Amino acid sequence: MDKVVILMRKAPYGSVYTSEGFRTIMGLAVFEMDLNILYMDDGVFTLVKDQKPEKLDMKPLGEGFSMLAEMNVKKFYVHKGSLADRGLSLDDLVMKVDQLDDAGVAEVLSSATKILPF
Amino acid sequence: MLYMFNQSPLTTKKFQSLIKIASAGDPILLYEDGVISAMEGTAASNEVTVALTNHPIYALSPDLEARGIKHVIPGIQLVDYDGFVGLVEKDNVVPWI
Repeated sequence: MDKVVILMRKAPYGSVYTSEGFRTIMGLAVFEMDLNILYMDDGVFTLVKDQKPEKLDMKPLGEGFSMLAEMNVKKFYVHKGSLADRGLSLDDLVMKVDQLDDAGVAEVLSSATKILPF
Repeated sequence: MLYMFNQSPLTTKKFQSLIKIASAGDPILLYEDGVISAMEGTAASNEVTVALTNHPIYALSPDLEARGIKHVIPGIQLVDYDGFVGLVEKDNVVPWI
């Protein structure tokens, strides 16, 4: 079975990357795959609480991602240094995720059979 | 000149390059992902705070709210879409994309 890591490194709403990543995961979730999402750099903003995308006439992304836990996504990871650089902590996020240090990120990436960057 | 900035200050050096070029007193308008620059407590907050001593800095509040950014660096002025238009009308614009 493929181990897929979806690597999300872009801030939500400013580009299509985050929503395209979400759509891709929705599509993959119907197959038997080991799906993992790793948020780092500005990608960590995707999970910040209290987003109000309706102010931009856009659909909410943070809560959408937390729903994926009930579909087929096995693990959600967040890079600790990326949170720290943004003054964020796990309490600021919409869902429970595993924190990884730099070596942890490298390990998750090297364990993947496929990496999809968004 | 009004400098318009729409990108995260944490992934590129474009905010620094803007600050090097902008003359003292030139206003800066943060919008789209540029509002991440207005956030308090990030690795970029210090340079934005320093920039505030030379430039009035504005941030578009719908973009802040959409991203869940609540803690804004003191001194940054929040504007709505009408305020955005007012700023753009007042000065010549330099889009720093």
